[in-house]
Amino acid sequence: MAEFSAAVYQNEFLPDGGTDVNAIVTVRCSGAGSAGRTGSGNAGEIIAVDTSGSMGHINMGAAKQAAMVALDNILDGTYFAVVAGNHKAYLAYPMVQAGPGMVVMDPRTRAEAKRAISFFRAEGGTAMGTWLNLCRALFDSIGNLANKHVILLTDGENHNETPEQLHAALANCAGHFQVDARGVGVDWKVAEIRKIAQTMLGTVDIIGDPAQLGAVFAELMRNSMARGVANADLRVWIPQGAQVLFIRQVSPTVEDLTHRGQPVNQLTMSYPTGAWADEERDYHVSVRLPAKTVGQEQLAARVQLAVGAELLTQVLVKAKWSADTNLTAQINPEVAHYTGQAELAVVIQEGLNAKQAGDFDTATSKLGRAVQLATESGNSEATAKLRKVVDIADAATGTVRLKQEIAKADEMALDTASTKTTRIRG
Amino acid sequence: MTEGNWPLWADQHPQTSTPATATCPSCGRTVAPSDAFCEGCGATLTPSAPPPVSTPNENSTQTRRLGSRNSEVITCPACGGTIDVDGYCQTCGTKAPSARDHYFQTPAPWIAGVCDRGQRHPRNEDAMALWAAGNRAVLVVCDGVSTSTDPDTAATVAAQTICDHLVGRLLDADADLDYTEAFTAAAAAGNQAVVAITAPDSPNAASATLAVAVIDGDELHYANLGDSRVYFLGQHTQELLTLDDSMAQAFIERGMERAEAEALPRAHAITKWVGRDSPDVVPRIGTRTLTEPGWVAVCSDGLWNYASAPHQLAAQLAATGKIEPIDIAKSLVAWANAKGGRDNITVALASFSGLTQPTNLGVTDPVEAQSVEGEV
Repeated sequence: MAEFSAAVYQNEFLPDGGTDVNAIVTVRCSGAGSAGRTGSGNAGEIIAVDTSGSMGHINMGAAKQAAMVALDNILDGTYFAVVAGNHKAYLAYPMVQAGPGMVVMDPRTRAEAKRAISFFRAEGGTAMGTWLNLCRALFDSIGNLANKHVILLTDGENHNETPEQLHAALANCAGHFQVDARGVGVDWKVAEIRKIAQTMLGTVDIIGDPAQLGAVFAELMRNSMARGVANADLRVWIPQGAQVLFIRQVSPTVEDLTHRGQPVNQLTMSYPTGAWADEERDYHVSVRLPAKTVGQEQLAARVQLAVGAELLTQVLVKAKWSADTNLTAQINPEVAHYTGQAELAVVIQEGLNAKQAGDFDTATSKLGRAVQLATESGNSEATAKLRKVVDIADAATGTVRLKQEIAKADEMALDTASTKTTRIRG
Repeated sequence: MTEGNWPLWADQHPQTSTPATATCPSCGRTVAPSDAFCEGCGATLTPSAPPPVSTPNENSTQTRRLGSRNSEVITCPACGGTIDVDGYCQTCGTKAPSARDHYFQTPAPWIAGVCDRGQRHPRNEDAMALWAAGNRAVLVVCDGVSTSTDPDTAATVAAQTICDHLVGRLLDADADLDYTEAFTAAAAAGNQAVVAITAPDSPNAASATLAVAVIDGDELHYANLGDSRVYFLGQHTQELLTLDDSMAQAFIERGMERAEAEALPRAHAITKWVGRDSPDVVPRIGTRTLTEPGWVAVCSDGLWNYASAPHQLAAQLAATGKIEPIDIAKSLVAWANAKGGRDNITVALASFSGLTQPTNLGVTDPVEAQSVEGEV
């Protein structure tokens, strides 16, 4: 039985006339169990593999092997399907013309699916929106699945669809299932795949070496199978007359949730967080209140985690107006840390965009700031990835030079990892 | 699902060694986006299966309820909304007032006290305990030291313990009470009570001041530790009876003007208190025989901050225009709040009119407050 708990980190004290309250809310889930095995409904997994012509012999072979490894990591009893995608989407397994488009995993279906994957051949273009729409239809053909998860692999740009078509497909699919997206090679666009992953509450990463595909797929599938809580929502209540400045997931990655809320009632918004394994996530909640007089105290937000209609945990974000500047001037360390991590993600992406646009001064300045932030906060992964793009003269001041020769894969790895944050606490 | 809705990879790509013919011959990396949509493309697929059924109640098998939300409905004083079990309004978020934030006691018509959070402190760390019977009364005011841990609890237990102790001594005494001994023992008992609620490992042991007045007929006995005070505000004389154990008092004793000393940054640092780390819990003690009508006022610095000199406090008392002790006490607290309410505010009053004459407190400007009948 899953248990949720939450903790809040904030400086409650506001100066006279102060209006903005910032808090970090940590939500922890334990005892999540396995996907589809908690009695709350079955789990469904779809492996969607790019079979466009650009995959070529090596990537296609690695992708086939990886898809089979992923099948090995799907628990028996889970509904699953395999989709082959190029400029169209095909149902590769189960080979049914009608009715339910997913079958229950067992040794026989696993073997049949592997056989179907073995016939994949690289040809055609790329239209990922069609793959996503087929996935939604397949999940819907079973109905009432609790966990719904897709591993999507691509190697190229979405040539055979307009951005509007991909956007429409994402709108059709958002909230219905989650997608972990991976790009193999360096011919795909990080921004495009990141948009898919973020909209579909999943992750994005680059797989530079096709030999790593199998290990990556195995890990993705094991992680998905560990998410025993199918769907949870972050609910944020604010007082009448107050305003949400932003709601942001800040750990393990930075994801802006501000505009993803659905109203629960006049004062409460619900933000989807997808499925949960045994894990912790941190959220940055920023609320603007009408100022009250010094000495007054009020609630700035109730932050809750809900599964369906049930509230499982709640923390209170408070505001206390004080004339004591020793109290009001303090910036909470957690808030400061994650404000820095969010800025780190922004300056990495802006720096890389500037570099691609040929604006090397801006790129140098932004990536220099990124080095400074990553160093200050001990984000060693970001620092290591930044080192492959810039030469660091002085990390403390953010003095850097762009490297003359930058491997495309290193640049993309920095981009995909830009939203990963470190935690201030152990 | 109607026949043939799923676009099968196997149909498009027969699983034989013979290469199949491409179904979309123009496709490839150079194809224009508009060319991609031929017949049978997956993007046009329309699901015909019923949408997933929403079954939130099923989640109860995998999750734990937060707890029942049924509770007594309390209305928010700010907006009329409902106070949640978490102690805050469900509509405007205002913190529900605590009974501890503002309370008053009127053990007899001639005795009253009000204890209030003030405006700036998040909680009320003052406390008082009052008792009266016949022509005897005990008034205790304690001010929890903000820099210690749990000062509100310290003040509460100290005030109640000291009051109880003195009442016991008054009721037991068959002859004249030795007040020096009684006050010393009462302060020691109050100190023990505070130590008892202090966590053994507390780095900032709970502590509180003490000001107490015992009225027995026309005898006034008083004692203090720290900077809570006892005044007598009479028709002809207005006196601050206690001496603060504070930095300000130390400077006054070295010749500094009171107003100047009390404006010093560390004026309110106290040198004596009750609590585990107190160096000395023997209070200063005094006795006065009352010879004229007036008021005994026991108060915390939340009040006297705004009227320290006895004639100023007497003027404020007169300016309330009230007659009943409880009304005067409430008005004085409201006045201190209007002045900014920088600290918790406590005032306990005893009306003394032993000569059964009107008291106008010697204020030059006659006030509405006239005869205040006590039971002394």
